[in-house]
Amino acid sequence: MSWLLAADLGVFADALRFVADERTLILEKTWEHLKLSGAAIAIAIVLALPLGAWLGHLHRGSFVAINLANVGRALPSLAVIAIGLAFLGIGFANVALALVVLAVPPILTNAYVAVDEVEPDAVEAARGMGMTRRQILWRVELPMALPLIFAGIRTAVVFVVATATIAAVAGGGGLGDIIVNRAAYGLEGVVGAAICVSVLALAADFLLGLVQRLLTPPGLRADVHALEPDVTTGVTRL
Amino acid sequence: MIRKHNRRAAKAAYSVALGVALLLGLSAAAAPAAPQQSTPIIVGAKNFPEQYILGQLYRQALVAAGFKVGYKENIGSTELIDTALKSRQITLYPEYTGVMLSVTFKRKSLPKTPQATYSLAKQLYERRGQTLLARTPFQDRDVIAVTRATAKRYNLKTLSDLKRVPNLSIAGFPEWNTRWRGQIGRQYGVKGFKFVPLAGISAYQLLDQGDVLAADVFTTDPPLLGSKYVQLRDPKNMFGFQHVAPVVDQRLVQQYGTRFTSTINKVTRLLTVKAMQAMNKAVIVDQRPAARVADAFLKANGLKKK
Amino acid sequence: MSGGLLLAQGEPIIPDFGEGSDCVVENRFFCPDWVRDNWAGVIQPALLQHVKLVVIAVAIGFVLSFAAALVAHRYRLVEAPFTAFSAVVYTIPSLALFQLLVPVTGLTVTTVEIALVGYTLLILFRNTLEGLRSVPPDVLEAARGMGYTRGQTLWRVELPLAVPAMFAGLRVAVVSTIALATVAALVIPYGLGYPIFLALREAFKTEIVVAGGLAVLMALVADALLVAAQRALTPWASARRLA
Repeated sequence: MSWLLAADLGVFADALRFVADERTLILEKTWEHLKLSGAAIAIAIVLALPLGAWLGHLHRGSFVAINLANVGRALPSLAVIAIGLAFLGIGFANVALALVVLAVPPILTNAYVAVDEVEPDAVEAARGMGMTRRQILWRVELPMALPLIFAGIRTAVVFVVATATIAAVAGGGGLGDIIVNRAAYGLEGVVGAAICVSVLALAADFLLGLVQRLLTPPGLRADVHALEPDVTTGVTRL
Repeated sequence: MIRKHNRRAAKAAYSVALGVALLLGLSAAAAPAAPQQSTPIIVGAKNFPEQYILGQLYRQALVAAGFKVGYKENIGSTELIDTALKSRQITLYPEYTGVMLSVTFKRKSLPKTPQATYSLAKQLYERRGQTLLARTPFQDRDVIAVTRATAKRYNLKTLSDLKRVPNLSIAGFPEWNTRWRGQIGRQYGVKGFKFVPLAGISAYQLLDQGDVLAADVFTTDPPLLGSKYVQLRDPKNMFGFQHVAPVVDQRLVQQYGTRFTSTINKVTRLLTVKAMQAMNKAVIVDQRPAARVADAFLKANGLKKK
Repeated sequence: MSGGLLLAQGEPIIPDFGEGSDCVVENRFFCPDWVRDNWAGVIQPALLQHVKLVVIAVAIGFVLSFAAALVAHRYRLVEAPFTAFSAVVYTIPSLALFQLLVPVTGLTVTTVEIALVGYTLLILFRNTLEGLRSVPPDVLEAARGMGYTRGQTLWRVELPLAVPAMFAGLRVAVVSTIALATVAALVIPYGLGYPIFLALREAFKTEIVVAGGLAVLMALVADALLVAAQRALTPWASARRLA
């Protein structure tokens, strides 16, 4: 039994050595990974945030907005990427698009819920002050909704960073290239790259958690756990 | 404030360390079962169609000859299936002679003839408890293919012609880059190209889309049957020789003797280039199940009762 | 024999393997004839295997985390180690975890199940524990006032009130296990991921669309079923949720 433990520890040590020795490769793949994730997140934010916020402002479309999150959470990433490939072919753009499909639901739903649930009293007061609808959205609802909106983005980022690993199966590049290429990099490479993905996801989560804390009014901060992955919103690992 | 942060960080570090320790403990507890008395016949196959066909051919021929046979297909990379072989999770699998040397035994240079390639591989396997049975008439080598249009445009015939192509990009399975980039530079002067790794998708689609200019493919691929693609010649045999030979656990040969080996060799002998291409086409293009294709082939050649 | 080369005794007979339909040979997006021909041989078994993978993983994961949550509810000391353990497991990319386990448990369903169970633990444990803890103090007070023992309070008050939180966890666990189980096909030819990977390799569109579509559908159906089950089990919550 203890030899197995030793073997496992050996693999971890080898993996760390791999990361150190192959830092050029690791950095290159990490950069690809971040580019892929970043592109997907950026597109998802541009698409989902205005729509969600606007629907929330109108207090309409709750069925769609809420259920989209559940549907989105239920989509197996591999299946989405595979189906995307069948229709769109191979490469960075298409994998990024599949990741966008997976990132939109949490952002849209959170934006909707955040704006929808802004205190009616505050909105009422703003209206009483003679603000226009647009002003109410920009000056009252969005600032108050910001922490929750950000929580949705945070979930999407962690999800996309973890899932982008699978992009390697479809020629999308990133750290997954090393993980699926055990023949060339050995188990230590696979484990090393896996550690990098984990660290990347945790770091993204941690940093965004800090930003989220800063955006949150001091009185509400107890709810934000900067160190913990947001599992209740259903981040699936790939 | 600072103290609070430190405590928090310390708590997190403690949690992570604890988690890792528990994880290791768990995996240590899940020790493998004790080995069995007699070595069972378990045919393995790697993770692409030609391997499924080969695996099914050997499996079904052995079953038809009255052996009890286990079967595991879709086993990841060469290294992974070799691990499975060494730990006796499989005891027989078809492998390509060049791959045996370059991947399994990490040889930098490959012998100059098919026969020498086979013999060296056999010798190396026998040192660690396996052996090779006879090799197939066909081989399935790496070949760099381009579309006919590309070949015409740059007048490409051999690998060294790729030197002339500006902004060259080559697609291949992920380990191709590590294995061949240096070689193709040294032997044919092809350098500084972009490599696009394919972890399990069709290279032909990339060629068709124009996303890459050249792709590393295999000589028995059905798309090469037509005239859509041009295969670049490899006069220096850089890619080596890739006949298939079943790697078997030596205990199987000891236990079952010639009844076992001759059953396998009868199948091997039938595997010409034409036969393999036809079977690959049936599985890949016509989407016939590999098991049924193998069944039809064995029956047609009298190795299985109709 | 030692030469390795066997003289081919004439060319082998190549039988007619049967041709694919035009749709299949041209590789269009969806070929109903392929689905018809391969439903019983390829798709249905993969679907059933997938269901089996998920049900077993979630069942074991649920039992483990339920037990752990009960213990942690009683003894707070247990919470940190279990959370830490499951959180570390949770951050390992599945592509890597499956490979990491192969040297230990081999190319088996067990390998896949261990990984899948591992991924369910954090969500199920946390949600169950949160559910148990969310019972308002005055309710517990009332239970004590009625003379309930600790065990009775747990079974009759705390657990029923924790059901919605547990179901929320189950929903996440089930749909994410369905997704993760597709990746398991990297290790063993099992579940819907297998036809997906095969089809990706050959760029065969019908199979990708059917197997991928079924995985998506399965997740949606499972999620809907769990919602229905939760409503049936917690009728008292429906009234509030109706809005």
